[in-house]
Amino acid sequence: MRQIAIYGKGGIGKSTTTQNLTAGLAELGKKIMVVGCDPKADSTRLLLNGLAQRTVLDTLREEGEVDDLKQIEKEGFGGIRCVESGGPEPGVGCAGRGIITSIGMLEDLGAYTDDLDYVFYDVLGDVVCGGFAMPIREGKAKEIYIVASGEMMALYAANNICKGIQKYALKGGVRLGGIICNSRNVDREKELLRHFAEELGSQLIYFVPRDNEVQRAEIKKKTVIDHDPKHPQAQEYRNLAQAIENNTQFVIPKPMTQERLEEILFEFGLMDNIKDNYHI
Amino acid sequence: MSGAIEQPRFTCALGACQSVVAIKKGVPILHSGPGCGVQVSRIIGQGEGYAGGSTMPCTNAEESDVVFGGEKKLRDVVENSFKVIDGDLYVVITGCTAAITGDDVAAVVGEFQEDDKPVVYVEEGGFKSNNYVSHSRVVKAIIDQYVDKFNEDREVIPGLVNVFANIPYQDPYWNGNLEQIKRVLTGIGLKVNILFGNESEGVSEWKSIPQAEFNIFAGSWAGLDIVKHLKRKYGTPYLHFPYTPIGAKETTKFLRAVAEFGNLDQEKVEAYIDREEKKFYAHIDKMASFMLEFRYGIPRRFYTLADASNALGFSKFFLNELGIIPGIQFIVDDIPEKYQESVLEEFSKISDLQTRDVKVVFDPDAGLDQKKLLEDAKDYQDKRLLILGSSWDKHIADELHADLLIISVPVQHRLVMNCGYAGYEGDLRAIEDIYDRVLATYR
Repeated sequence: MRQIAIYGKGGIGKSTTTQNLTAGLAELGKKIMVVGCDPKADSTRLLLNGLAQRTVLDTLREEGEVDDLKQIEKEGFGGIRCVESGGPEPGVGCAGRGIITSIGMLEDLGAYTDDLDYVFYDVLGDVVCGGFAMPIREGKAKEIYIVASGEMMALYAANNICKGIQKYALKGGVRLGGIICNSRNVDREKELLRHFAEELGSQLIYFVPRDNEVQRAEIKKKTVIDHDPKHPQAQEYRNLAQAIENNTQFVIPKPMTQERLEEILFEFGLMDNIKDNYHI
Repeated sequence: MSGAIEQPRFTCALGACQSVVAIKKGVPILHSGPGCGVQVSRIIGQGEGYAGGSTMPCTNAEESDVVFGGEKKLRDVVENSFKVIDGDLYVVITGCTAAITGDDVAAVVGEFQEDDKPVVYVEEGGFKSNNYVSHSRVVKAIIDQYVDKFNEDREVIPGLVNVFANIPYQDPYWNGNLEQIKRVLTGIGLKVNILFGNESEGVSEWKSIPQAEFNIFAGSWAGLDIVKHLKRKYGTPYLHFPYTPIGAKETTKFLRAVAEFGNLDQEKVEAYIDREEKKFYAHIDKMASFMLEFRYGIPRRFYTLADASNALGFSKFFLNELGIIPGIQFIVDDIPEKYQESVLEEFSKISDLQTRDVKVVFDPDAGLDQKKLLEDAKDYQDKRLLILGSSWDKHIADELHADLLIISVPVQHRLVMNCGYAGYEGDLRAIEDIYDRVLATYR
């Protein structure tokens, strides 16, 4: 069983990417569980075709205890098992503690069965406390993929997250598997991401081009593979799934200084002439 | 299912630190805010023990530990605890603060475990449960993270048993009770790992847990999951005796149950029971005239505010051996619903001679229970009453001119050293103490 955690700047497309790529893995016949680790509880909407799922924490709050996995686990597209941790509304409580509780609960209920090939943890963007690092603690996710784009803030956030990953990687078994680019059509994006990933000691594992088909599918509460399996974007996600399936490069990331990041952005993020704009 | 309650007769989950204090040379290390250890040991403790109360190493988490994480501080405190306190086993327990900030305690303690230091961790958080529940988690953590290391290729030792009974310090007479239980089990030929208290050999007993022939759980529910865990892990079968064996009759029942379960030499067991009962009844014989002629009046009716194990044990003792009628039994240990049915069933079988209806109230709100008790007692104003409770019940005992026997925490009105009410000797002690209360009001 491979346990994978997906991190990245808030709004960069982690949940979208995770759901679309797991749809691709499901097509390959893999048995998958997706665990949403975000109080927004929107990590499985596309797989379940709607935000219908009762979260772990809601169930706990209403019923006092959770005895049965069926109360919190639902099956979605391609047989993917979906769990949402849930958590407090914005501005109240402590979501980090919520994640600790709900992941602990999954362990106690025996959710991690031997027949699973993959467990994906979709973690909320800003890893602001220990609780959000729960998925990468010892015994859980061994691989992390960071979703980023060519936007400066996305890269800054990715680099920042690597500091946390490095800490856990140095004392445990978790490793960075690669950077996934969720394109924003930024100048020289692919090149920039490739160099950024290499500077971290890692790799740009896949470049997902921007395509509004993703948005259309999302509005229809589906993954692209579900919505229009023949669309070229669906193939992109299948390729990403294959890249993850075949990945063998796992590293302890080397986060860079702010100065170095700015240097890289300057060198690879600015377009000097039309020749470098590969979209034309 | 939450609401405010008055007078909880247990502590937050961190209270399980007292279970560690109860192990010979056990040292709890708290990763919590300042004062938690002292607070806990005031409610469920008398005296600090080896490394309890204010001696407990603690990270005393403050604001910067909350904001920036407390792992570094924890590492320092653990490392220095090894240097400053001579212990055989160290148990890191997290309080509320560390539980919310999400410190990776497993990783910090793991570093020391890799160096073969005798240290384990339990991630609790005071708010997570109460000490009835967390006691089991601490025991299981010690077994999984420490005891297990010594388990390679070790064979079962015939006649060795692990005993899990009352929760140390939560039961004010835990030391004496465990002493008595060990005494009688040794008497019928078993080698006993009593695990906590003066009669235990400390950590060396813990190391031999996997080699037991069978396990005994003498209690209602808190601790049942420990023996289940040992069954799953090492295949050790277990006997569940549903309450604390208080008094001679129940102790005999207990020993016979153990003998049957363990296939012991019946003759030897019966011979021991015979010897003990003779000793016991010899005292009763001597006192018979006094007890029968005593017109001043021993209590006629008793109310209990205690946990399920002790409430059952004492009820059977008082009814069947002293003839005192059970009034309302208030079970204040916040027993989970799934265990309540079996407790009610045990109460329905309380009398050896007839079926008897005993009113049982499951409510951890002891303040409310006291109100109900006072209300009910109005119907028995002409009878002398006995209250089995804690120091917090003294004022209602005074109000009702009733006798109070303290059997649960908190204990402020007597000093407890090796007093225990379990077993044959405990029986005599209990009778002496009842009369002691009564005679104290003699003019």
